[in-house]
Amino acid sequence: MSLEVKVKEVFKDVLDIGPDEIKENEKLDVCLGIDSTEMVEITVGLKKAFNLDIPNNGFKKTQTFNEIVEFIRSKEAQ
Amino acid sequence: MKRIAITGMGIVSPSGIDERKFWANISHGRSAVKKIERFDASKYPSRIAGQVHELDAYSNVSSRLLKKIDVFSHMALVASQIAIQDAKIDMEKENLKRAGIFAGNAIGGWLYAETELRDMYLEGREGVSPFMASAWFPAAPQGQISINYKIKGYSKTIVSDRASALMAIAYGAKNLNDGKNDFILAGGMEAPVSPYGLLCCNTSGVLTQRNDTPETAYRPFDKTRDGMAVAEGAGILILETEERAKKRGAPINGYIIGYGTTTDGVDRIEPAEDGAELSRAITMALADAGLEPNQIDYICADGAGTQIGDISETRGIKKALGAYAKKIPVSAPKSVFGNMLGACGAVDVAATILAMEHSMVPPTINLNTPDPDCDLDYCPNKAQSKEIKNALVINRGRGGINSVLALQRGR
Repeated sequence: MSLEVKVKEVFKDVLDIGPDEIKENEKLDVCLGIDSTEMVEITVGLKKAFNLDIPNNGFKKTQTFNEIVEFIRSKEAQ
Repeated sequence: MKRIAITGMGIVSPSGIDERKFWANISHGRSAVKKIERFDASKYPSRIAGQVHELDAYSNVSSRLLKKIDVFSHMALVASQIAIQDAKIDMEKENLKRAGIFAGNAIGGWLYAETELRDMYLEGREGVSPFMASAWFPAAPQGQISINYKIKGYSKTIVSDRASALMAIAYGAKNLNDGKNDFILAGGMEAPVSPYGLLCCNTSGVLTQRNDTPETAYRPFDKTRDGMAVAEGAGILILETEERAKKRGAPINGYIIGYGTTTDGVDRIEPAEDGAELSRAITMALADAGLEPNQIDYICADGAGTQIGDISETRGIKKALGAYAKKIPVSAPKSVFGNMLGACGAVDVAATILAMEHSMVPPTINLNTPDPDCDLDYCPNKAQSKEIKNALVINRGRGGINSVLALQRGR
C-alpha cells in the first residue's frame, strides 16, 4: 500500500468519507470542512499508523493533504 | 410576565417521537418502561428504563457527526429539527443573531465519556478521542444545535437536576420578555441509559427495583411505590413573543404565562417533607401569571414515585391551592414513559399542551393502591375528559429544587 493510500485510509476512518473527496492540494478545512477536533483525531490516527513522534496538534486543518504526506515521507526517510 | 407563545414542539421519547403517537400512548396509559437489553444491566438494582427507539428513522445527522457527539446531543438535534418544522420557521430567513437556545440537562453525555474513560485505562492517554472534549459536557447539545443552525444569539444551558428543562424553558421565556431574542429553542435532553449513567442514577437511591414487572414498576402516588423508572429522551419547544407569532401567522400551541422557583435547603437528595417551598414556588408562578388558584384546571405533577417525593408534592399543592386542590386533576404522565431527569420538563410541557388541545388529562398509571397521605385526584390509570385553559407543570430536583411553570391554552 502506498503512503498516500495509507494516509487516505486514516482520513476515511475518522471522517467517514471516500478517498475521492480529498483534494490533495486544497486546504483540509476548505475541501473537507475539517474542524479542530477532527484534525486532532486524524493526527492521532496518523501517529499510530506511521509510528510518528509528534504532538497531537502537530498537523493543522489549514494544511493540505499533500503537505501532510510529504511531512510523513520526510520523517520516514530520516 | 407577558405571555410567550409555544409555536413548535419536538418530542423524542420512549413513548414515541411522532407527536400523535406520543399522545396516543400517554393518553391510553401504555407503558414504555422495559427491561434494559442494550448492555448487561443484570447486576444493577434497577435495570429497567424508558428507552428511545427509532431515533435513526427520524434523524438526518451524518455518520461523520455521530462519531463526534453523544446520544444526548443526537436526540436534541432530532427534537430541534422536528420543533423547527412544526413551528414552520425558515431558518435561512431568520436573523440568527436574535435566535437563542436554552437547554436543560442533568448528567451530561456519559455513554461517550465512559467509553473514552475505558479506552484511557486500556490504551493510555492516546486512546482517548479528542472528540471527548466536545462530546460529554452538559452544554454540548446547546453547542451542537447552534452549530447545526448557525444560531448566534443569547443562549444558556441549565443544570438543575430533574428541574433542568423546565427551568430552561422558563428562563427562555423570561429572556423573550426582556427582548433579548426573537425566538428560542428551549427544552432538555438526557441519556442516562448507559452503564455508568445508570449506575449513578442507581446510587441516588430513588429508582424502582421492581425489575420483573417493568410496565407497572413506576407508581407515582401509589402506596406501594418504590421509586421512579429512569428514561432517556429530549424535548425542544419553539418559544417566541405572542406578537411575533401572530404576525407571522404561526400555529400557537399554547402560552407560557408564569414561573416560580424555590429551594428547600434541607437535604442533598430528598425534598423537604412539608412541601412549604414547593407551595411558595406554586404561589410565585400563579402571581407571575396573574391567576388565582381556582383558575387552574390541571397540574402536571413531578410524580417522583418516592414516598417523600409524592407526599411532599401533595402537601405543597394543597398548601398553595387550599381546598381547591382536591377539585382538579393532578397527573404524572411520565409514569408511562419514565423519568427523563434533566429533560422531563420539556416533555411534561408538551404533554400538558397536548392535554389542552385534546381537552383530556393523561393518566397517572399504576395507581391502584391509594396512599392516604396522597389524597388528590391523580387521574388514576384512565384519561379524563376536561377542558383545560390554565395548567401548572411541576418539576423538582435533588437538593430541594422546586420549579413551577404556568401554561395557557393556545389554539
